Amino acid sequence: MIVGIPKGLLYYKYYPFFMTFFKELGLEVVISPDTNKGILDEGVKYCVDDACLPLKIFHGHVAVLKDKCDIILIPRIMQVRNREYICPKFCGLPEMIQNSIPQMPRIIDKPIYAGTRKKLYSWAKDIGRLITKDKSKIKRAFNFALIEQDKYKPGYNDNNQGLTVALVGHPYNIFDKYINKNIVQKLNKLGVGVITEEFIEETLIDEEVKGLYKRPFWTFARNSYGFAANVYREKRVNGIIYISSFACGIDSVVIELIKERIGNFPFMTLKIDEHTGEAGLDTRVEAFVDMLGRGVI
Amino acid sequence: MKITAPHLGNVYIAAKALFDGLGIEYIMPPMNNKEALEIGSLYSPEEICLPYKIMIGNYIQAIEKGADTVILPGSCGPCRFGKYAEMQMNLFNKIGKDLNFIVIDAPTDIGIKELYSRVNQISKNSRRRKIRQVGALIRAVKVMNLIDEIEEKAHYLAGYEVIKGECKRLLNSCKRDVLNTNNPRDMIGILEEYKRKLDSVKIDKDKNPIKIAIIGEIYTIIEPFSNLYIEDKLMDYGVSTKRRLTPSWWVKDTLLKPTKLNSLEIKRSASKYLSIGVGGHGRECIGEAVLAQKEGFDGAIQIFPLGCMPEIVSKAILPTISKEKDFPIMSLVVDEMTGEAGFVTRVEAFIDLLERRRKNVLSRS
Ligand code: SF4
Ligand code: SF4
Repeated sequence: MIVGIPKGLLYYKYYPFFMTFFKELGLEVVISPDTNKGILDEGVKYCVDDACLPLKIFHGHVAVLKDKCDIILIPRIMQVRNREYICPKFCGLPEMIQNSIPQMPRIIDKPIYAGTRKKLYSWAKDIGRLITKDKSKIKRAFNFALIEQDKYKPGYNDNNQGLTVALVGHPYNIFDKYINKNIVQKLNKLGVGVITEEFIEETLIDEEVKGLYKRPFWTFARNSYGFAANVYREKRVNGIIYISSFACGIDSVVIELIKERIGNFPFMTLKIDEHTGEAGLDTRVEAFVDMLGRGVI
Repeated sequence: MKITAPHLGNVYIAAKALFDGLGIEYIMPPMNNKEALEIGSLYSPEEICLPYKIMIGNYIQAIEKGADTVILPGSCGPCRFGKYAEMQMNLFNKIGKDLNFIVIDAPTDIGIKELYSRVNQISKNSRRRKIRQVGALIRAVKVMNLIDEIEEKAHYLAGYEVIKGECKRLLNSCKRDVLNTNNPRDMIGILEEYKRKLDSVKIDKDKNPIKIAIIGEIYTIIEPFSNLYIEDKLMDYGVSTKRRLTPSWWVKDTLLKPTKLNSLEIKRSASKYLSIGVGGHGRECIGEAVLAQKEGFDGAIQIFPLGCMPEIVSKAILPTISKEKDFPIMSLVVDEMTGEAGFVTRVEAFIDLLERRRKNVLSRS
């Protein structure tokens, strides 16, 4: 049996887990190619037009993958931390896909609660059972998958250049180079180093979000806010760039909360959708870096 | 303390009953209007949802009338509504307008003690005895239920009335008259009288009007200003409408939520298409579409604010329901730019479609 994993949304954060799990169960795994124009076009064609860019791109990945596999993972990730969510659209992702893309193969859509190891294991058991009767095999695959996931350290931590910026936003906006037009490379070329939230300790993020009136209930929003607030307070960077998608309800809130916290600290939002041109983005990034450079001298 | 609360449909009527009963001064924001929306948009982040913007307009117009405290219900995700309060507090700090916020969150999120202390901030301003405070609350709930019932009846009977426009006229004068007293008991009396009047509206049972269910995001379907008064318009066209989500429904649903016994019928109907809650009222929207078809409605109209996350999920699913059940559903997205003309055209075209379908069925059989 061949299982397909679309390279979109939280793939960038959790692929070692899923890939190892299925491979250890003896399945062949296929992954869609890196996001490209063709994938985006497919996504735009199928997805409801009110949706955000990352969701459209995910639709595109599914569309190019669906005929290459027998079963496809549409991860309905409900939670990665207890009592928090990610985004309403994640909860309904499989339904959106199934009702928008025709002739889908079988899909894996069981809700994933990854707040604790035990909850995640119950997902793994149910999915494993579709594939094998051997319980110990499932357990072993699960353990391996977690080990691989633990080894994986995505993110950037480069403060050896003249200037450093914090890159903030949902993981897919940070890691999908098609979405962000390769911004990290651009910044490096301009002599600017980049750090991301993965390199700030959890406890420091917790510390920062305590200052909010309301417990933050979206995991990645919590990270973004905590990270931005921390680099600002400890003056770890010269400026902050937030990569956001148009029509992202979560970002519209987090950006406000961050701005409120950091006052006049250099901050730029790059809002991206399928019409965003590379040239316009370049200009804005260059202008921002220019401004930061003047601040240093 | 002068209390205000953002508009949501007819809730202001119940709010007046409550605060009159408690003997606390209540400042009703001017009925929702263009200016409120303009002020709100000016002070709000561009991409925040429409309800947020209108609410900001309400607060500012209420402050102009002397309000110093606002109460609003909270929630803890997954949707943005849960973050409204915090962002709004920050905003008022920044623009230097004094406004005290009392956010009524669920005890599961803030603890029963905190909830008690927040409620106490309100009730300590009432010089009435505790028992009378409870009475005031009970009467306010009664007022809310009555006005919701009256409105529901009027919307439905509008398709059957013999004298054109009678239901709408009664509904409007009811909303006017009920504000003419400061005594909650009298309010209840007035409402009951209007309920009786509506019951005796002359109707033509053989009429068989077009019936449309109104579904979608709760604020934009309940608050008429935000949906360009769509229900009023449909009354004018002689269409019967039904909307399950009302303030009284919301209260009941919220109270029952911890037991998971809330809105069972809606959840059950949604389960084939969406088995899980997606925040806001996305699952309700799906369930209501299914129910409306089952109950013999001609079609449904989904309304939601631009960028509303749960309703975008529903919007992706609704076409399947529509196709499988041969049931027309139209989605309308509203924001501060929505123009009256285009909106009306689409609603009229939808009614036309429903009428044509009926004729086709008749001529075929
Ligand atoms: S968090 Fe934002 S960008 Fe991500 S899926 Fe939800 S709306 Fe889209
Ligand atoms: S349900 Fe829609 S309108 Fe309500 S807070 Fe969420 S995004 Fe905004």
